[in-house]
Amino acid sequence: MLRQALSLWKKERKRKETTLHRRLILFFVSISIFLILAFALLLMIFGITGKDEKTVETHINTELTDIAQSIEDDFAKTALDGISIAESISRRSDMFFLQHEITPGELAEHPELIEPLLAEYMETLINTVKNSYCGGTFVLLDATVLPDAPYADTQKAGVFLKKTQPLTTEMVGVKIHCLRGPAQLARDNGIMLLGQWRMEFNTVGEQFFEDVMETAKNNPVLPISRLYYWSGRVVLEGNSESGFLLCVPLRSSDGTVFGVCGIEVSDRLFKQLYSPEGDSYDSIFTAVAPLHTDGLGTSRGMIAGNYYLTGNRLIEDLTVKESRNSFEYFSSTLGSYGGKSQEIKLYPHGSPYEDDGWSVAILMPEEILNDAIEGNLSYFIYTIIVLLFISLIVSVVISRYYLKPVKAALDSIQNNPYDERQVAPYLEINDLFEFLASKDREYEETLREKEEHSLKMKNEYEQAQREISRLAYLRKTEIDPDAYSEFLESLSRLTKTEREIFNLYIAGKSAREIMDEFDITENTLKYHNRNIYSKLGVTSRKELLRYAALLNEEQKH
Amino acid sequence: MKKISLIICLLFLITSLAGCGGGGSPLNPNDPVTLSMWHNYGGDMQETMDVLIDQFNSTVGKEQGVIIDVTAISSSSELNKSLDMIANGDPGAPDIPDIFTGYPKVAIQFQEKDMLCNFDNYFTESEIGEYVDAFIEEGRLSDGGLYVFPIAKSTEVLYLNQTLFDRFAEETGADAGKLTTFEGLAELSMSYYDWTDAQTPDIPNDGKQFLAVDAWFNIAEVGMVQLGGSIFENDALSLESDEFAHIFDVLYKPAVEGGFAVYDGYSSDLSKTGDVVCSMGSSAGILFYGDTITYPDGTIENVEYNILPYPVFENGEAVALQRGGGLMVAKTDEQREYAACLFIKWLTASEQNMRFIEKTGYLPVTKQAFEEDMTSHLESLTDERIEKMLTSVLSMYDSYSFFTAPNYPAFDDDSSNYESEFKALLTGERSKLIAGEDVSSEDALAAFIK
Repeated sequence: MLRQALSLWKKERKRKETTLHRRLILFFVSISIFLILAFALLLMIFGITGKDEKTVETHINTELTDIAQSIEDDFAKTALDGISIAESISRRSDMFFLQHEITPGELAEHPELIEPLLAEYMETLINTVKNSYCGGTFVLLDATVLPDAPYADTQKAGVFLKKTQPLTTEMVGVKIHCLRGPAQLARDNGIMLLGQWRMEFNTVGEQFFEDVMETAKNNPVLPISRLYYWSGRVVLEGNSESGFLLCVPLRSSDGTVFGVCGIEVSDRLFKQLYSPEGDSYDSIFTAVAPLHTDGLGTSRGMIAGNYYLTGNRLIEDLTVKESRNSFEYFSSTLGSYGGKSQEIKLYPHGSPYEDDGWSVAILMPEEILNDAIEGNLSYFIYTIIVLLFISLIVSVVISRYYLKPVKAALDSIQNNPYDERQVAPYLEINDLFEFLASKDREYEETLREKEEHSLKMKNEYEQAQREISRLAYLRKTEIDPDAYSEFLESLSRLTKTEREIFNLYIAGKSAREIMDEFDITENTLKYHNRNIYSKLGVTSRKELLRYAALLNEEQKH
Repeated sequence: MKKISLIICLLFLITSLAGCGGGGSPLNPNDPVTLSMWHNYGGDMQETMDVLIDQFNSTVGKEQGVIIDVTAISSSSELNKSLDMIANGDPGAPDIPDIFTGYPKVAIQFQEKDMLCNFDNYFTESEIGEYVDAFIEEGRLSDGGLYVFPIAKSTEVLYLNQTLFDRFAEETGADAGKLTTFEGLAELSMSYYDWTDAQTPDIPNDGKQFLAVDAWFNIAEVGMVQLGGSIFENDALSLESDEFAHIFDVLYKPAVEGGFAVYDGYSSDLSKTGDVVCSMGSSAGILFYGDTITYPDGTIENVEYNILPYPVFENGEAVALQRGGGLMVAKTDEQREYAACLFIKWLTASEQNMRFIEKTGYLPVTKQAFEEDMTSHLESLTDERIEKMLTSVLSMYDSYSFFTAPNYPAFDDDSSNYESEFKALLTGERSKLIAGEDVSSEDALAAFIK
């Protein structure tokens, strides 16, 4: 359609003469195009054409900065809470060991003391669960209630209290469940057992426990505040919820490392706290994961956001693919993602884990990011094209409708005499019709007068002719026939010049006209007159003219 | 020619503008709506629910623009407390979730404040007709609107630790047939208490309990129906009847003398540690029973559980409680309500419903799943516990009548007051007994009714 409009325009440009209809369409189309383009320009000025690369980058940068800062702050606070629990538990343990006259290292040999010892920790653990945003708190002792059992090496006594609504605090009531720990201990504290309850921890596959113990043992001079460790995402045996575990070693006053305590940042808590703004971009999500040399260890990380993934996790690590358009692109066998990442610091200076890097990334599936960078340009162009098409159709329809009465009026003028009774819808056309009518009447009046004048002139002419004939007849009867015969015979004796002058006299010319015609003086004319008179036997010009008139009459007849 | 051009133009316009509309759905896949959800399917059931929700989010949800975001998983009693706070507008109460599980009694509170979506506005009659009529009727409140949508139902059963019982029966000759009546359970429980007490002659009164129950109130309300009466009268509890006196008497003695456990938590907690031989609770609690028990000293014993039909008072009718709340949707705006109903339609469709019950032990809610799919699926179930439970419950549906608790406004208070006062009474009586004081069922009943 646009091509047709263009060709029409080109055609019209070459040809100055065009129809009213075409000119009107072009007029309307030009106005429409101008308005649409002006509208488009305004939209572009105000940035309503879609999200471009800069907008996406700004948004991701803002989200990344905010969320990374929140994570660093919150995780640091959780670490402080964890250190506080560890210190409290260590103090209580010291007293307990003193009361029972054992050293911390001898606890494993006294399984009967484990439940009473754990009972000492309950108040601290319950208070922490109640007063902080977390998925739960836990303590593991390097001991088991059944040291002689075949699986004793991997069994560790302890307590894990879970909070099902991680963002609640004591203000609105917290319900605590027991995931691990002696059942009676839970009952004594009014805590229900979860369906996945087990009495003890099974450390098979949960190497972080041994690692934290080992690191603490190898760094006896480092304070507890330098020895905490963030596990990657772990799922305790039988548990359906995963999370990061802050692990703080328990060290007695004699330096013995006898267990680990900590706080769980569950995936539900993580999702509720660190999701990017939901209404910004489709499928944008936050990922927090250990930093690897070639990418992100997302298989042990957590994600938060409105992205359709199984659970709160990416099940594979992400490898850095490339940097393009100021964004980083990562890939795994299950998909590619783009966005931005930032390293965060989870450990203080001097920590044995100081070099363990963690990263926060704000990501989107690659194709969605690319679409966001491109913005809605295609929709924008499509809309402009549709508007142009619609304006073209409207122009054609309106101009046709507008010109319909004009065309009818013109046809009426061309084909029929103007009828004053016809009424067009436009005043201008009616005025034109009246003007044309008055001109028409003037023309007819003039024509009628001319015809009358012509008739009158014709009558006068015929009357004059008749008068001439009558006079000629009278002259002839008055003229001497002999003298006239001599006159006729003598005509041949006239010279060429005399004959021409004679003919002019006959034609009714005056002496002045003849002098002008021959460019001669009066004397010369008189000379020729004398010769003519003498040769023709006449005595005056009057006589000459009388013979000449008679001659004319005879020649006519 | 002009007409053809006009039609072409119109078609072009319609197709151009088609993107502006949503074809009747208020959802937009490019701008998904995120719905918060609270549910009480915790423990082992959580994974099943998580997988289903993930599947919805990545298929139908993604296509239509709905994301279900589970923000809390808790027990139904805990959820009720939070929902109570929301309904009452208590300070510090969280925002109302878009979708939450609960019982009709919770729905009444919200519906009175016009805070619930009426499902009749989003389901056609034929769609509602696909669900078991009785389950739908449970969700209709006083104005006739459907506010609680059935997702899964359960009844109450008797969980029996067969390993422990066999050991007990072998030693004492206990009759398993007595497990079918409350009177028989009372008798067995005293026998068990005495038998276990006798194993440690040096320590008096350390016998073990035989039975634990999740809700004493449920025994009373169902027991009354079994005996031909009703505990409810004019939207209140009516305890002054011979039937109730009999129920009280049957339960009182073993509870005070140590045969029945009086415990605040779920009865499955006591089963896990071998503290009881059998427990009475929801059929959906099957996943809380593993195949081991852990004794207080840490030793773990492999055991076998059996699911028995709900006991009946002697000479009573076989009646059991039909339990299970449903899903409620907060009244918000059309888009959110439509999205929530889309999810509920998907979740309760036969295919998903069967997957849910296969993993959780609940009963399905669609007629097709209940009447056809469930029977055929029994053989293919991989979890033996659920197979046992469904077999037992299906047999109950053949021979039992089912009773649904009423929805009157004070029901929640009445039932919880009954529960706490009954437990307090029994605990106090037991303390008196241990202290050597005289106790009697008649006096206790009179005190309780007062």
